[in-house]
Amino acid sequence: MAADTATSPRLLEPVDAAQAADMLRDANQARQALVIRGHGTKANWGAPPSRLDAVLSVAALREPVDHCAGDLTVTAAAGVSLADLNAHLAREGQWLPLDPLAGGSSSVGGLLATNDSGPRRVRYGAPRDLVIGVEYILADGRRAKAGGRVVKNVAGYDLCRLLCGSFGSLALITSATFKLSPLPAASRTVSIVVDSHDAFAAVSRAIAGAPVVPSAFEIHAESSAPVPRILVRFETTAAAADAQAGQVIALAGPLGAKAELLQGSAEDTAWARHDGVTAADSGMWLRLNVPSASVATAADWIARRGPDHGVGFRLAGRIPLGALMVRVDGEAAAIARFAAATREWTAAKAGYLAVLAAPPSVIASVAAWNDVGAAPGRVMRAVKAQFDPHGTLCPGGGPAGLT
Amino acid sequence: MSLSASFLTDVAGVLPADCLLSEPADLLTYESDALVHLRATPGLVVLPRNTAEVQAVVRRCHAHGVPFVARGHGTGLSGGALPVPNGVLISLSRMTAIRHVDIENQYVVAEPGVTNLEITRRVAPFGYYYAPDPSSQVVCSIGGNVAENSGGAHCLKYGFTVHHVLGVEAVLADGDVARIGGPSVDPPGLDLLGVLVGSEGTLAVVTEVTVRILRRPEAVLTLLAGFSSIDAAGAAVSAIIGCGIVPAAVEMMDRLTIDAAEASVHPNFPPSNAVLIVELDGPDVEVRELFATVEGVCRSAGAETVEIARDAGARDRIWKGRKAAFAAMGRVSPNYYVQDGVVPRTRLPEVLRRIRELEARSGLRIGNVFHAGDGNLHPLICYDESIPGQAEHAERVASEILEYCIDAGGSLTGEHGIGMDKRKYMTAMFSADDLDTMQRVRCAFDPSGLCNPGKVFPTPRLCGEVPGPYRAHPVERAGLAERF
Repeated sequence: MAADTATSPRLLEPVDAAQAADMLRDANQARQALVIRGHGTKANWGAPPSRLDAVLSVAALREPVDHCAGDLTVTAAAGVSLADLNAHLAREGQWLPLDPLAGGSSSVGGLLATNDSGPRRVRYGAPRDLVIGVEYILADGRRAKAGGRVVKNVAGYDLCRLLCGSFGSLALITSATFKLSPLPAASRTVSIVVDSHDAFAAVSRAIAGAPVVPSAFEIHAESSAPVPRILVRFETTAAAADAQAGQVIALAGPLGAKAELLQGSAEDTAWARHDGVTAADSGMWLRLNVPSASVATAADWIARRGPDHGVGFRLAGRIPLGALMVRVDGEAAAIARFAAATREWTAAKAGYLAVLAAPPSVIASVAAWNDVGAAPGRVMRAVKAQFDPHGTLCPGGGPAGLT
Repeated sequence: MSLSASFLTDVAGVLPADCLLSEPADLLTYESDALVHLRATPGLVVLPRNTAEVQAVVRRCHAHGVPFVARGHGTGLSGGALPVPNGVLISLSRMTAIRHVDIENQYVVAEPGVTNLEITRRVAPFGYYYAPDPSSQVVCSIGGNVAENSGGAHCLKYGFTVHHVLGVEAVLADGDVARIGGPSVDPPGLDLLGVLVGSEGTLAVVTEVTVRILRRPEAVLTLLAGFSSIDAAGAAVSAIIGCGIVPAAVEMMDRLTIDAAEASVHPNFPPSNAVLIVELDGPDVEVRELFATVEGVCRSAGAETVEIARDAGARDRIWKGRKAAFAAMGRVSPNYYVQDGVVPRTRLPEVLRRIRELEARSGLRIGNVFHAGDGNLHPLICYDESIPGQAEHAERVASEILEYCIDAGGSLTGEHGIGMDKRKYMTAMFSADDLDTMQRVRCAFDPSGLCNPGKVFPTPRLCGEVPGPYRAHPVERAGLAERF
């Protein structure tokens, strides 16, 4: 259902959490619907809300940034950008090791609301794995918190995780506390080129079986170069990064792959190019999940079905997690058919497909989310009803369209 | 109020006789979990063998309005599996099958009664293991681990149960079966899995768990260092973290617990006032390099002795000493009360000092075993229950320690859960709105309030409750809970 844009939604920009609470309470009492916005890097994700009166931006919520280096934790306001946060943390040699596609411009609140992540998820986890505390405002303006400031904490329900990935449909996150990592001393990347999908599968398996601990282990492929390439990154001491990169190069050769060691600016360029493969404002943006050993088959399937459906594709993903991101270009009906076929294929592999963003004509004809099942769906709707009985927060725009 | 004849007949119709226990002598085992001073007698214990039988029992409970409590192997330390008096106790101890092992895709599907260590044993021949390793892992159940979001010594590096569970199958309070998550990451919808883990059995009965398994690290190096004081050992830990090193585990024990462990399992710990166990794991080159740094830091911090485990046997010996610490306290004291507070690591020295002062004032010995890397303390308060008033005194001392943890910005519990034991402290850590919102989640899962009622929250919330004058909750009327 398209949002009513006959009158443009008004923009609310609270300067602090107290004002945000007042604005939410007012909107709730007036039975209005609003969406929450961080820095807008993922504003088009998910299904659009069924109705929309206002956009509430948390961009001005930039205080506090409370870094406790000795504890390796930080509490940051929702409007702080990832780049600003990491610049602050770097002063003590630490970081929040997230690398979403939108990079440093993502907001803390937006990262948590979408659980967005990138290649380093393989080693460090997604926001879901790193969040240890959250402060939030409910639709009726009441303020609450969950978790805390210590990493080890099982007191009360884990609402940090419930709110993570909820797409702003349950509450407005005003700040979050994360567990941090020390900045690595060195980085090395091995770039691997193979000449077939079978070779890609063999090399992936070999690396997965090796005693190395990469912080990224990525696939990328595109219509113009359908045979996948691999990037493996090591972030640790220089000696350990060199040793592990060497092990990967030694594995690749006998399997007929060409492997190259990258460091410094050449490494940065390779990763920028990898991110660039799927970055775009147009087309359909899919999140595809399969069990990790099925990544090779998934890449192969996409490479064959893409042309069959008359669509172009560009994909990048975390091999050990089976988490692929795919940009699909083409005309609307073809894209929609391709999405439906891909959803069916991934479901048969015990996987999932989410249409994170798509042109309006495509959104109308393909479900953004897989079916969650009757019992979980009932509970999700009940959670939404408990948190936001009047549907103030992004009605229908939550993950699975139930909230 | 005892269970009605019609309910009992109904349940007898869906489970064979050898899955039902109602004789008083048979019910005794189930009256408490490992927090033995909290006891209650269930009206009926059921031992289902599969998901369908769990579902059948829960359906009957729902139809008759009978509260039920799920229990794994009863190793919990917060009374989470304490039965509702005259309610139903669902023991998952017969559901011990590993339903599926997928090495290639790195996951295992297990029934809730499978022990934590059994999962590791099953995948060990392939070079894999299940990472969360609570000290009770030989006996504790994976279902219980899910309920408590269990950690273990290696959670410093590897996280907790919630970081390793990919999916569950659970029976909701109305008897419907929900499948959430599975072998692939990023299931659609709200993260119900994330809120179920650590919900202490109050949201549903988990009947199957899918967990991620990891490859064994290439190298593991473990050192055992003796220090003249806890403070000196603590300074070593700060220095290690300050070097940008995140060990796989950092454990500390004080003199009392060292002596107890030594007497019990003879790990050959040094006769120091404090010992530090530091373990690093990962790629061989990395581990060797960082371990040398760790050893240097310990020596610079004044370690009296440093032992580097030469082989797997030595490593096992060191860990045996640490993991036996709780049980070993039985040798130095007729009774002891284990607490489980968390303190930000940077505030540890101050909190430990307050605990020492408390020990002196209270006249009770307090042993300390803790996860020094993440500030999770396990003070062991020694007492003798045959001395009138000492048990209550020990409980008051435990309360005071929890206050210190909250004052320092920590948590009431790092691993053991709130259960029945720590409900009354929840208002010290969370506001009324915090707790009310959590309970809204409970209402979403279980509007009937039958699933493990009376746990975690000090003041039960009626579902569909509106703000207004006080109304007693049915659980309060039944005398099962009080408002604090």
